Amino acid sequence: MATRKAMLIDIKRCIGCMGCETACKQLHGFSPDPEPTLSDTAFTVIETRGDKFVRKVCMHCDDPACASACPVGAISKSPAGPVVYDADKCIGCRYCMLACPYSVPRYQWAKLAPFVKKCDLCAERVKLGGQPACTEACPAQASVFGNRDELIAEAWQRIRSDSSYVPHIYGLEEAGGGSVFFVSDVPFEKLGFKAAPTGNRPVPSLTTAALGDSPKVVIMGGSILSALYWVTQRRREVALAEAAEQSSGRNTKDRRS
Amino acid sequence: MFARIKSELTFWRVLTAIIFVTGIYATYVRFFVGFRASTNLSDQMPWGLWVGLGTLCGIGLSAAGFGISAAVYLLNMERYRPILRASILISFLGYMTVCVGYLYEIGLPWRFWHPIVMWNHRSVLFDVCICIMTYTTVLTFEFAPAIIEKLPWRGFRDVVLRVHHRVLIGVVMAGVLLSSMHQSYLGGLYLIAQGKVHPLWYSQYMHAIFYLSAIPAGLALTVMAIYLCMRSLNVRVDFTILADCGRMIQMLLIVFVFFKALDLTANQAWGYAFQPTPEAGYFWLEMLLFAVIPIAMLSQQHVRSNPLRLYWACAVVVAGFMVTRLNVSINSLQTAMGTHYVPKWTELASSVLVVAAAVIAFRYAVIYLDILPKLPATPKAFTKWMGNGGLPAQA
Repeated sequence: MATRKAMLIDIKRCIGCMGCETACKQLHGFSPDPEPTLSDTAFTVIETRGDKFVRKVCMHCDDPACASACPVGAISKSPAGPVVYDADKCIGCRYCMLACPYSVPRYQWAKLAPFVKKCDLCAERVKLGGQPACTEACPAQASVFGNRDELIAEAWQRIRSDSSYVPHIYGLEEAGGGSVFFVSDVPFEKLGFKAAPTGNRPVPSLTTAALGDSPKVVIMGGSILSALYWVTQRRREVALAEAAEQSSGRNTKDRRS
Repeated sequence: MFARIKSELTFWRVLTAIIFVTGIYATYVRFFVGFRASTNLSDQMPWGLWVGLGTLCGIGLSAAGFGISAAVYLLNMERYRPILRASILISFLGYMTVCVGYLYEIGLPWRFWHPIVMWNHRSVLFDVCICIMTYTTVLTFEFAPAIIEKLPWRGFRDVVLRVHHRVLIGVVMAGVLLSSMHQSYLGGLYLIAQGKVHPLWYSQYMHAIFYLSAIPAGLALTVMAIYLCMRSLNVRVDFTILADCGRMIQMLLIVFVFFKALDLTANQAWGYAFQPTPEAGYFWLEMLLFAVIPIAMLSQQHVRSNPLRLYWACAVVVAGFMVTRLNVSINSLQTAMGTHYVPKWTELASSVLVVAAAVIAFRYAVIYLDILPKLPATPKAFTKWMGNGGLPAQA
């Protein structure tokens, strides 16, 4: 199994140079103009919150809501970490966009054959032993890429060595955890990070209960319907037989008289 | 000449012409220009009117087919047999509109078949797709005799109908189960969007609420359709059957309201209903149209026993149902997604086109097939090909 990779984003160290955004756009051949929010031509952007710069990017969840929602299984979590999208399977239903708790996936609304667009943590480059374009471009070590375990240790190291950091790694446990972590010197909720609606449970757990009921519904419902049908049929037969008996009884009486 | 054209131009014909012209234009824009030109959808509102009105309302309002077929075939309620075929036909056409609407909704419509071969059993939408495809097949099967019995080849007809009769009960049972599953899974679609769906609608039992609300709405649409058929076409149904349906709709609505209230209580969401937010307004509109007004109307004997009043009560139920579905699919998401979505006219025009096509198909099916009991003397004009121009007829 491939080593699990991850990306650490350090909001304290980020200088807002937009190097990550530009490198990402360059790699994908998009126009280099910065964009205010994620779009189908901006898989990562820098948002300004007060005097802080917050990178928006796919969280690459371990149990991704988008992957569980996709009806054709076009999105999957690869063993190395990236949540990847198979454009050959996608039908364009956009349920992944509704399902994502971070509202990350974007759609090519202007195209006639539109696809879903989101960060794939440069899965191809990572497979070849490289690192994503964004972390490569970061001059301040604010976005770093590496082995997941080592990065978590690095994150704790940064938090421990500097008391200004918030003692929390965002993304480690939120919504079941993922492959992108944030550390910050400003409380996350002040930077617009929403607490995951499910807390630390993976988001797909929201539907497992309802979906898990379906075999029960089929078996129980099927038995109940069959039983009901049997009862009503039996009643009908009895009623018919009784009617027949009565009429034949009447007939014999008629004959006797 | 001019006078003749004028006499042919009835209100309904002009309306149908407008619906077709605008709808076909909207369809052209959707398939040859794209989403950006034909919709107001955005990354913040990826699902809009097509899902809310086309799919959620389309499937929900087609719920009568499985309800009535279960009542007649499985529970032996022979009383409802006269409206059985009409309700199955409404469901069949309703599902057809959803299948066509599906092609508008998905971005890559030529890949519509992907869910059949690419499975993701963890996805609610996958289950919905498969259930709807299978149930549309079931409805085709349930409706088929109405066409087969009109075929001129007697031997073939008898064989097919005999086989059909043998397996019918099994198919009906499968249909009831499939319907129960996907009627509720349509609500289940939104389970994963916790934190996006407003607490007035989000609950872990959303799917159950969807199921409970669909059945009265489907029945109400059937009552409306049959009333219109009786008024404009050459068919008659014992009106007391429809009055009983009205009674049933009322009871089902009471059950729905009970569980909706229970659900709000369990989620401690009542507070949101009394805040001065647009969501609270939408919620009370839904409660008024889908619960308070129809329950009050249908509880009165003089409403249930009068065809026109019953028709209007059912119209309120259908309207209220559409509000509930649009509330969940659009209104409940806007605040959390920080967006304000108003559908583009082309979205509405294409949805209306598909529904209008289904209504016309329904009309011709009632005229040419044995859907509802016909009056004995059938005027020749009705049986002539395209006899009346394809429009809801004069009373």
